[in-house]
Parts: sequence; C-alpha cells; structure tokens
Amino acid sequence: MKKDSIAYVVLFTFIACVVFVLPLAVANEVTRPLVEANKLFALRSSVLDAFNIGYQTPEDAEAEYSASIRETAELNGSPIAWAATIDGAEYRAVRRSGPGLWGTITVIVAADPLGERVRGLQIVDQIETPGLGGRIGEPWFIEQFREKKVGEQGLRADQSGSGEGELDKESPRVDAIAGASRTSDFFVAIVNGAIADIKAGGGAP
Amino acid sequence: MSSKQAKIVKDGLWFNNPIFVQVLGICSTLAVTNSLLNTLIMTVGVTFSTALSSWTLSLMKGLIPRKVRMIVQVLVISFYVIVIDIVLRAYLPEASKQLGPYVGLIITNCIIMGRAEAFAAANPPWPSFVDGLANGLGYMAVLVGIAVIREFLGFGTLLGMDVAWPGFIPWTIMIMAPSAFFLVALALWGAKSIAARAEAAKKKSATAPAAAR
Repeated sequence: MKKDSIAYVVLFTFIACVVFVLPLAVANEVTRPLVEANKLFALRSSVLDAFNIGYQTPEDAEAEYSASIRETAELNGSPIAWAATIDGAEYRAVRRSGPGLWGTITVIVAADPLGERVRGLQIVDQIETPGLGGRIGEPWFIEQFREKKVGEQGLRADQSGSGEGELDKESPRVDAIAGASRTSDFFVAIVNGAIADIKAGGGAP
Repeated sequence: MSSKQAKIVKDGLWFNNPIFVQVLGICSTLAVTNSLLNTLIMTVGVTFSTALSSWTLSLMKGLIPRKVRMIVQVLVISFYVIVIDIVLRAYLPEASKQLGPYVGLIITNCIIMGRAEAFAAANPPWPSFVDGLANGLGYMAVLVGIAVIREFLGFGTLLGMDVAWPGFIPWTIMIMAPSAFFLVALALWGAKSIAARAEAAKKKSATAPAAAR
C-alpha cells in the first residue's frame, strides 16, 4: 500500500488513534477512584475549614466530617448545603459561586442560622491573578471573615484599610486586597449572597 | 556520551537554547514564572513530553504519511501531556489544582512540536530523545532563573518559603506577566552579549596566528 494513498492515511490514522488513546482511557479508569477520593477530600476539608472544625490527617478529617457534619441539600449528587452543631450552637453552611475578575469563584460559607455572624469560610475554586486577586486564598484574608458580625447591608470590602486584615469582629468591614479591589468586591458580594442564602433557610435540615 | 550527543546537549542548553535562540515557549514563560514550584512542575512536564514525543515520533517517522504528519505529532504530544495530567490529578492533586489549565497547554508549547519537526523527523530515536531532553532542560534552566527572580521580588518567598528580610516590600509588578517580558528580554540580551563576545574572541584567536606569520 502506498504511503500517500487515502486508504493508508485513513488506516494509519485510525490505528495511531487507537494505540495512543486506549492506554489513556485505561489509565483514566484506573486512577478514577483516586481522583474522586481527592475531590471528595478537598470538598470535605473545605466544609470543615468553613465550620472551623480542626483536623490533623485526611483520616481525621473523614472521621470529623462523618461525626459532626450533616449534608442537608445536594445538586446533581454533590452536597451544596450543610449543618453542624458545634459546642451546642447550630450552624449552617452553603456553597455559592459568583463571578470574579477572571472566572468563577466558588466558596463555602458557614454562619449561624440567622446569618448574623459568619462562622468561617473556605474557597473551593478560583482563578484570579496569582499574587493579586489570587491572594483571596491567603490565610490573613480568609481569617478576617471568621466570627465576623454581619451588618444590615452585609459585609463590605474597604479599600482604605491597612491591607493586613480587619481584626475587629464587630465591624462589618473587611480589608480589601491592595491592587485587587475588583476581586475583593466580587468576593465579598459572593459571601453576602451566601449569607442571604443561609438567612433564607439554606443549610437547614 | 559521543561527541555528536554532546553537541546536541550543548545546543539544547546554550547554543540553540529554545528561549535565547529559538524564542519559543514564551507564552508559558509569562504564565507560570511568578511561582517557582509551578515553574518546576511545568518545565519537568515539558522536558518529559519533549524527550518522549521526539523519541516516539522518530521511531514512527518511516510510517507517518506526510499529509497527516502534524496531526500525528499533536496526537503523540497530547498522549504524553495527558499522562502527566492523569498522574498529577491522581497523586499530586494540590499541584494539579494550582497549575489548572497550564498542564493541558503544554500540548501547545511550540518547543515540543518545534523539536519534533526540526530534529526528530530527520534523526534516529536516541539522538531525538537526547535533543528533546536537552531542549527541555535548556527551557527549564531559563524559566527557573526567571521564576527565582519573580517569586523572590514579587512575594519575598522561594518555593513558598519566606526568605525576604523584615520590612521587605514586594514588587507587585514582578507578579504580573509584563515583568516576565522584561526579564526574558534581559536574559536574551545577556545571553546574546556573552555569545557575541565568545564569537569575537574565537575570531581573534583564529586570526592572531595568521597575523603573526
């Protein structure tokens, strides 16, 4: 068969595709349980972080999740709302997505059922500029929201802060990230949306 | 190592460096070099893909019809890149999450297809492997150098560890893509100057004995 004939080209392309794609399909199937387990651990550890429940190891996290967290709503088989009783107090958490500067930001926010005080939050997904908007993932930024009192208008990002985090838990303001005011505003809007969801009964058993 | 292979290695690392001389792979240079860890993972991925896809394509070169040459190259390159993606997702989920779409984009890295076309298509498998490896390492050396500067000046860290002195003020520009342009340009300038000086010295030493005669 001539190498430039249509039959050879079609046959060669078909065989090459099978030879290269088949091992990938097998490798994908073989590693699928591991990938699913990684995704599940990432989600569950984010929920525990949002509720401010500590853990040391992945096994520890699984045990804490099973013992303390109740999944109260799901979408397409994935949980989107949770409830937990911590030190006798009831808390709710919801998953919420919204626009960032470059793409969707997804967070899990935990608060009391009336949405008056944030328990904590954790970012599930974001693709903001590394070093600028991407700094929403830094501990000092996330920690600002922990035990934060929510004002009547919700929380607000303040551009004039020190840039090191607002530590007054009774104030509804949080320090925006210097050089990333748009991302800070988007992020706080998503958090306020999540608090509104909780107020509306999100996460309730 | 034979002298031919030594020459291939020297070319990939310096004389025909993919960044300094071929000016390839610039997109990823801008994208990932504000983090040393991401740069290391990305460049290891590119080195692995370039070496193995050059080797595979060289093995197959007698069978590939010219009409579908580039389709087959992309298929082979994609195969190795997806292997990397699967391994990262399964065993290094944090790195996979941080690199996000960049791993998939290795497929479009010009260096890999450039070496497949320029070298592997006309050379035996083992030299093609060495050529891919040397070009990947040459690319890695330049990007790691740029990443060290950008991460240190941009964040005050290296591999995420705080290495700056107290009171250090991070240079925000170093985190943004334009700083990579400045640094690549400076690196090109430096490399070209060194190469030109070496060339001039070589010419001078070649003409000196003739003048003495």
